[in-house]
Amino acid sequence: MHTSSTLKKEFLKKWIKGLQICCSSNKKMDLMERKKKIKLSADIAMASAKNPATSWSNALISEAKKNKQDTILVNSLLGTESDLKPQKNTDRIISVHKRVQYKKILKRSCNAGKRMNKKKNLVATILAKRLVKKRTKVLKRLVPGGESMNEFSLIKEAMDYMLSLKVQVDVMRSVVTAAEVLSEDKLMKLVE
Amino acid sequence: MSSRRSRQSSSGASRITDDQIIQLISKLQQLLPGTRIQRSNKSSASKVLQETCTYVRSLHREVDDLSDRLSQLLSTIDADSPEASIIRSLIM
Repeated sequence: MHTSSTLKKEFLKKWIKGLQICCSSNKKMDLMERKKKIKLSADIAMASAKNPATSWSNALISEAKKNKQDTILVNSLLGTESDLKPQKNTDRIISVHKRVQYKKILKRSCNAGKRMNKKKNLVATILAKRLVKKRTKVLKRLVPGGESMNEFSLIKEAMDYMLSLKVQVDVMRSVVTAAEVLSEDKLMKLVE
Repeated sequence: MSSRRSRQSSSGASRITDDQIIQLISKLQQLLPGTRIQRSNKSSASKVLQETCTYVRSLHREVDDLSDRLSQLLSTIDADSPEASIIRSLIM
């Protein structure tokens, strides 16, 4: 996909930049700290590579900015832009409208095919609604910035977030395996 | 049906229909990795949401694990300088 490969390139560029900043500044870092910085650079690189910015990426960036220890890293990755990128606001206007529709759909999909027994139907609907509520809560916690979203936007953001995470994992995996293979190679030559 | 029209938003182009929401959930389902090639329509919304949560969590874990490996790799490099030059040029 065209957008996926450009996203990969953008992410890789920004992540490497972040790694250079965090790993060259302080040589005496313990494992946990270095790992956190690597992960942070990856997350911010991913979020800032999204153009136009999505709700989750803005939430991730603003969350990272709150931590004073990492401001240097964050600001250098984001460049001169201190404000968040503009975001499409169309979702907010119709949030109530969509929520009503969403619940109608869920009710309908739960009810489909169970018209035989009315009592069972009612219980099933109640259970299904509860399950959906529970699962939506969990998803809200997983997607950055999800707490303040209505259900409709949450699903859209979740889809986008999933795709971006996949890109992030793919790129990170290639870099790490390449580096591991290289280091193994060199170490083997040392031993021989 | 009538309630849908009465709550029409000011921006007419963004009117959402019931079908669009069903489509959204099925799209989400399609994005999820699955062993079955054919994604049946029988999965309820709650199942799709659960699979989404599981998938996102597993992706988070992978990022964590990869960061761990990279951090260990970089720490071992600091000790040996000659072999480190290649990896350094790759990452740093």
